[in-house]
Amino acid sequence: MAATSKRTSRPQISRILAWLLSRLDGIPAGRFASQKNAGRSLTALTIAALALPGMTPRQSGAVEDDGVDFQYSRYREGDRDMYRYHFGEGYVYKLPNKLEPIEVDGLHAKARLRLSDRFKLKFNFIQDTWSGASPIGSAPVISGGGNGPTYAEDGTTITGASPLASLPMYGDLAVDRDGNFYEYQTDPNTGQRIIGARNNRHTHVMSSASPETRKQGDFKLTYEWNEAALDVGAGTSTERDYRSQFFNLGGRLDFNQKLTTFNWGLSYTSSETKAKLDPDALPFIATDLYDKSLCFSDGTLIPMQPTVPTGYVEGNCVDDGQGQFVRTEATLRGKRQDRGIELGLTQVLNKNALLTLGLGYTRSTGYMANPYKVVFGHTVVFNVNNDDDPIGQTNLYGNTGSSALVEVRPEKRELFDWHLGYKRYVESLDAALHLDYHYAHDDWGIRAHTLEGKWVQPFGTGWTVTPRLRYYSQSQADFYATAIFEMTRYNFDASGAFVDTTSLRKFPKHYSSDQRLSGYGTLGAGFSLSKRFARGVTAEAGYDYYTHKGSLKLGGGGEDDFADFHYWVANAAIKVDLDAVGGSRGDPQPQQHDAHSQHQHSSAPAGVMFDHALGKAGEFMLGYRYMRSTQGGGLLFGSNSVNVDTVRQAGCESQECAVTPRAMSMNMHMLDLMYAPKDWLTLTLMPQWVDMSMSMTPNPNVQLSGAHGAHSTGHRHETGGMGDTGIYAIAKLLDKPGHHLNLALGATIPTGDVDIRLRKTLTTPVYDQRIHYGMQLGSGTWDLQPSLTYTGEAGRLSWGAQLTGTARMEKRNDSGFAFGDIFQSSVWGGVRWTPWLTGTLRGVYTTQGRLRGRYPASEEIDIYTGELFVPEHLGPFDFPSNYGGKFVDIGVGLNATLGGAWRGSNLKLEWLQPVREKVNGYQQERESTWVFSWNMQF
Amino acid sequence: MTHHHRQIARTRLLLVFCLPWLVACAQVQPWERGNLAKPQMAIDPQPMQSTLSSHVHNSREGTASGGAGEGGGCGCY
Repeated sequence: MAATSKRTSRPQISRILAWLLSRLDGIPAGRFASQKNAGRSLTALTIAALALPGMTPRQSGAVEDDGVDFQYSRYREGDRDMYRYHFGEGYVYKLPNKLEPIEVDGLHAKARLRLSDRFKLKFNFIQDTWSGASPIGSAPVISGGGNGPTYAEDGTTITGASPLASLPMYGDLAVDRDGNFYEYQTDPNTGQRIIGARNNRHTHVMSSASPETRKQGDFKLTYEWNEAALDVGAGTSTERDYRSQFFNLGGRLDFNQKLTTFNWGLSYTSSETKAKLDPDALPFIATDLYDKSLCFSDGTLIPMQPTVPTGYVEGNCVDDGQGQFVRTEATLRGKRQDRGIELGLTQVLNKNALLTLGLGYTRSTGYMANPYKVVFGHTVVFNVNNDDDPIGQTNLYGNTGSSALVEVRPEKRELFDWHLGYKRYVESLDAALHLDYHYAHDDWGIRAHTLEGKWVQPFGTGWTVTPRLRYYSQSQADFYATAIFEMTRYNFDASGAFVDTTSLRKFPKHYSSDQRLSGYGTLGAGFSLSKRFARGVTAEAGYDYYTHKGSLKLGGGGEDDFADFHYWVANAAIKVDLDAVGGSRGDPQPQQHDAHSQHQHSSAPAGVMFDHALGKAGEFMLGYRYMRSTQGGGLLFGSNSVNVDTVRQAGCESQECAVTPRAMSMNMHMLDLMYAPKDWLTLTLMPQWVDMSMSMTPNPNVQLSGAHGAHSTGHRHETGGMGDTGIYAIAKLLDKPGHHLNLALGATIPTGDVDIRLRKTLTTPVYDQRIHYGMQLGSGTWDLQPSLTYTGEAGRLSWGAQLTGTARMEKRNDSGFAFGDIFQSSVWGGVRWTPWLTGTLRGVYTTQGRLRGRYPASEEIDIYTGELFVPEHLGPFDFPSNYGGKFVDIGVGLNATLGGAWRGSNLKLEWLQPVREKVNGYQQERESTWVFSWNMQF
Repeated sequence: MTHHHRQIARTRLLLVFCLPWLVACAQVQPWERGNLAKPQMAIDPQPMQSTLSSHVHNSREGTASGGAGEGGGCGCY
């Protein structure tokens, strides 16, 4: 709905219309002819029409209606192609890629509220968790690929550690002065090595990552005048290695009777990279240009001035256990600023078409590189007398060769983005065609075209189908290269004696092999399907498939096909338009009345589920619940505090623990969709999303196999994504004034992942170490969850009690284990302080059994031992006996009943604190749990 | 340039800028804008989906403005 309609509230509109109609009714026919009056009526009608909802185009920048939206998305790439050169027979072949590709699970929650007639607030929360393997650079195939993964003879097993960025793997390369690579061959007659055919084929060097989570929160506050709007917004985005804060200011100006709208926006973003470089790759990558210090093998740490002005690498210098000092940790830091201006013009062309023009300008300064990407730099020496011989050889003198250099990008970028948009309503089909073209260019040499079209086709019953197509093409950045060169010629005199050297080529100042900067095209196709239900609720789902290819670049000349890949994005969303909901909730009632309406308005604390059933058949409820629980502080054995040394010795069965828990947090977002098919029965669907983060303290006494026994002073693991999905039926056993008894029967469907693995490292040399049981996203088993809840109220007081259980219906999940059964009982009481605010106090007793089963033993070979891999990098949380226990918690909470557009909704907050714990085995103490919930019935 | 000339120049510039719009659009009266106000003609009919798409494009394509004041993170993978 257009924002313009909001300026006049509904009663006002009806008053204006009533007034207009009464005027029209009362006007004698003769006076209608009067020019003056006709003009006045027309003006009045125009004003009234402008004020009507939906009588003005939906301008960009306009704030939508009050409401809440929730979206889940999933992004997944196809496997990247990896190639290898067969040295014996001289051909290039594709490797079986067994690395998990990049995968992103995203959540987006949005709330829009009208603070007053003219003030509007919009709030976004976005979270994404990604994991998987991505290219860190590209290497010539004939070098041996520069890749870690090596495959056994049968081609099925990865036995190497990834990533290894060292080059070359199989000896030297031959390179000519234009930077072409040549194969070496053996002369069948002489048995000598000779230079063979030219081969410039490259392959990705891949590196995989354990899951990481990013969170973003932002808001926008808008003030609206009759023909203008001003908005101010700010936000922050945080992930392990990157933080940014942003601020924006914008506005809208309508003129020409709202046929023309001018939009403007200013933005500022400040970001900071703090990337811990892969400790396993450190020995193989060159950070020279960024180094702030140099570690000598005798332990001296010399300060350096980094050559790159925008970023620097700080590293340590520790004893490797054999008396040599090495750098085992390095962090790349840099800051960047982005300043943007956006201008836009939207014009109504006729009653069925709109035109949009836009220009965006962004000036970025600072560190803009990707800290994990490297470029293979080849140092080439030509030592022949004959200038006509084009071939040089690397490694001819021992100190030359190839190295993986951390990429360097320019410290400034100016990007322009021109936009032309056209929207046309097609009357005969009641559909709309949206066409958009963007042309973007920057001073890095990238020129990009985007052409996008979509067809929005509504159907009579609230369904809308939107198929869409998108084509994107870009030219490469000036400094993009799959390989860079430094070439030197050694000069000899006529007698063959060395004279001097001539530099033929130096490494460029800026370089990147990130394929985002290469020349390529992307073709995408997808659709959205949405269904609007009568009460202002819309469900939407979408899917898009993209193929990224060098050959799709406009005009040809894109990157070779080794970099081609494809990806898909799927989303599912539920949107609630509170104004539409308000319209269906009948006549406004006094606010206090809501608390006593005929359905059970729950006064149970936020952390209690299943206490509430819908009142009447046909009713619907939407709820959202957020729970955050943390563990931290001391370690426990049973109910006794123990020190870290005890846990290291005894917490990991027969071996010594390599790590112990330092802190853990878990966040859970849960949607609650309730529908009552009968007065006495409520059906509930509860999808949930979880994300977890755990930091660990390494045990200095444990020397792990591999090169990096002492590699880190801290560890952190993260996971996130969709959890298990609950389905329940709630029956009202007793529903009398003041007393209610509900029985809920249901189960959770194992939609959460239980097979998340840690990335391969030198300490975990195979991709076969599953993350700690407690950090998997679901249970992996079908779980039965019955509960019995009694609630009562009298006057200002309310009370309740609940018994609930979780019984695993399978002995083991696909990963070989099952969490222990859970039994929980709660008792609570509440006092209503004001008609809309209630305070609660709750006591909770929980007991959970030990974890059954365990992860299966690995079937992969450890390269260090030559035997089957046995995980060494373990903590108490990797052992089944250290799960479950008995817990007593006390919780205090607040419940609020809202008014206004949010009438009929409840906000609840509860804070739970453990008072007694008796854990199974060795576990960390629990800290607090916060539960927030919102629900709305309509 | 005199004040008068400047005023003429300004008026001309205004006319050049505005005329095409005015000519093209003067006929669309407010009560004729029902079609333009339909949900399928919204500037962005699926805002959540577009936020997701632009986040994906920004983290996969070279012309990501990256700092358009809307967050989005590093996309360093």
